[in-house]
Amino acid sequence: MKFTARQPGINVNVSPTHPLKEFAILAGGLLAIVVGVYLALGLAVDLIVPRLTMDLEKKLAGAFIGRLVENEDVADTRRSLQALVDRLQDRCAPLPYTITVHVTESDAVNAAALPGGHMVVFTGLLAEMTSENELAFVLAHELGHYANRDHLRGLGRALVLMTASTLLLGADNSINSMIGQGMVLTELSFSRKQESRADEFALDTLFCHYGHVADAASFFSKIPEDGDPGRFGHYFASHPENRRRIGHLKELARERGYPIGNPLPLPADITAKINPR
Amino acid sequence: MIDLIIFLSLLVLGYGAGSWAEKRHYRSIADRENATVNLPAVTLKSVDVPEHKIQSARLVYGSAVISVDYFKRILASLRNIFGGKVKSYESLLDRARREALLRMKEMAGNATVIVNVRIETSAIGKHSQRKNIGCLEAMAYGTALTVEE
Repeated sequence: MKFTARQPGINVNVSPTHPLKEFAILAGGLLAIVVGVYLALGLAVDLIVPRLTMDLEKKLAGAFIGRLVENEDVADTRRSLQALVDRLQDRCAPLPYTITVHVTESDAVNAAALPGGHMVVFTGLLAEMTSENELAFVLAHELGHYANRDHLRGLGRALVLMTASTLLLGADNSINSMIGQGMVLTELSFSRKQESRADEFALDTLFCHYGHVADAASFFSKIPEDGDPGRFGHYFASHPENRRRIGHLKELARERGYPIGNPLPLPADITAKINPR
Repeated sequence: MIDLIIFLSLLVLGYGAGSWAEKRHYRSIADRENATVNLPAVTLKSVDVPEHKIQSARLVYGSAVISVDYFKRILASLRNIFGGKVKSYESLLDRARREALLRMKEMAGNATVIVNVRIETSAIGKHSQRKNIGCLEAMAYGTALTVEE
C-alpha cells in the first residue's frame, strides 16, 4: 500500500468553544460573585455592629471628621449644644461615648449620628426649634441612636467595607476616605423600629432630665402638610409615619405617667445666631 | 463612564478585527499546508538513506510572531481569575507554530525531507514596562535533506 501524505483534518490543539460563549460564562460568573458579595455585605452589617469595639469605631470616624470644618460663626451655638448634650448625658443618658457636637450650616432639618460619637446638627434644624425641651428631645433622639448603635447600622454596606479596610490597611486608607467623602450625611437611613427605639430613649431621657415631657412630640407636628420629606431627614420620613410616631410618643408618655410641664425657652446663643429671619 | 466606553470599544474592535484576522490566517495556513504536504517535516534525527545519495543537508528555520487581540486578552485575564484552559490563547499558539513550520518549509525549497524538526516558543514583551503586550514567537527549525532519486 502506497503512502499518501494528507492533512489530519481536525485540529486537536484548539478548543472548539466559541470565544463569545466563554466570555459570557466568565463575565457572568464574575458579575454573579460581585452581586453575591454586595448582598452578603448587607447581611454582615448586623453581625459586625455588636462586635465593633469603640476603639475601632473611633478609627472609622476619621474618614468623616475630616470634612467637618469648624465654622467660627456657629462656635457659640456649638458650645451651647455641647453643654446641653453633656447635661443630658451626665445624669440621664450615660453612654460609653464621648459625644462631640458639630454644627453644620445647611437647610436640612436634620441631625446625624456619626461613628466615634460625632453628632452633627444642621442649622436648618436649629431654626425650627422653639424651646429647649424640643431641642433636647432631638439631641436625645440622636443619643438614642448611639445607645442602640444604629448610627453604625445606618452606614450599611459602607460600614462593612470600612471595617474590613481599617483592619487590613489601617485607619487612614483610601477606601475609608473615599466612603467618607462620598457619603451624604443626611442619607444615613434608619428603620422604623430603630427610630421608635430612639424616640423612646429620648422620651425617657427628657423625663429624667426635666421631670416632664413637654414639647417632646411638638417638633413632629410642625412638619407642613406639603413639606419636602428629604429636607426633614430621618425625623420626618413621611407624613403618616410621623403621625404614628407622635401617637406612639403620646401613648408612651401616658403609659409611663410622664407629666407635661412648661417648656423652657431656647438658650440665648442658639436663638441669637440662628433665628435672624 | 468614558473609561467604560473606551473599554467596550476596544473589546468590540478586538473581537471583530481579531476574528477576521484569525479566519484569514487559518485559510492561508490550510492552503499552504496542502501545497507543501509532500515535503515531510519529521522529528527523526536522520533517515535511512545511503550517505552518497544525499546531495545536500542544511539548516532551515522559520519563525512567526503573532499578537493576541484585546478581546482575547480580557478573556484570558478573566480565565486567570477562575483557572482552567486558557482557550483564547490556544489558537494563538497553534497559528504561530503552524506558520513557523510553513515558513521553514518555504525556506527548504525543493528539499526531499526535513529531519530533526524542533519547535520552540517564546513570549515577547514579557519583561517590558507594560506586561500586557501578549505576543509570542514560535520558531521551527530542522535539517533539510535533498536526496538523489
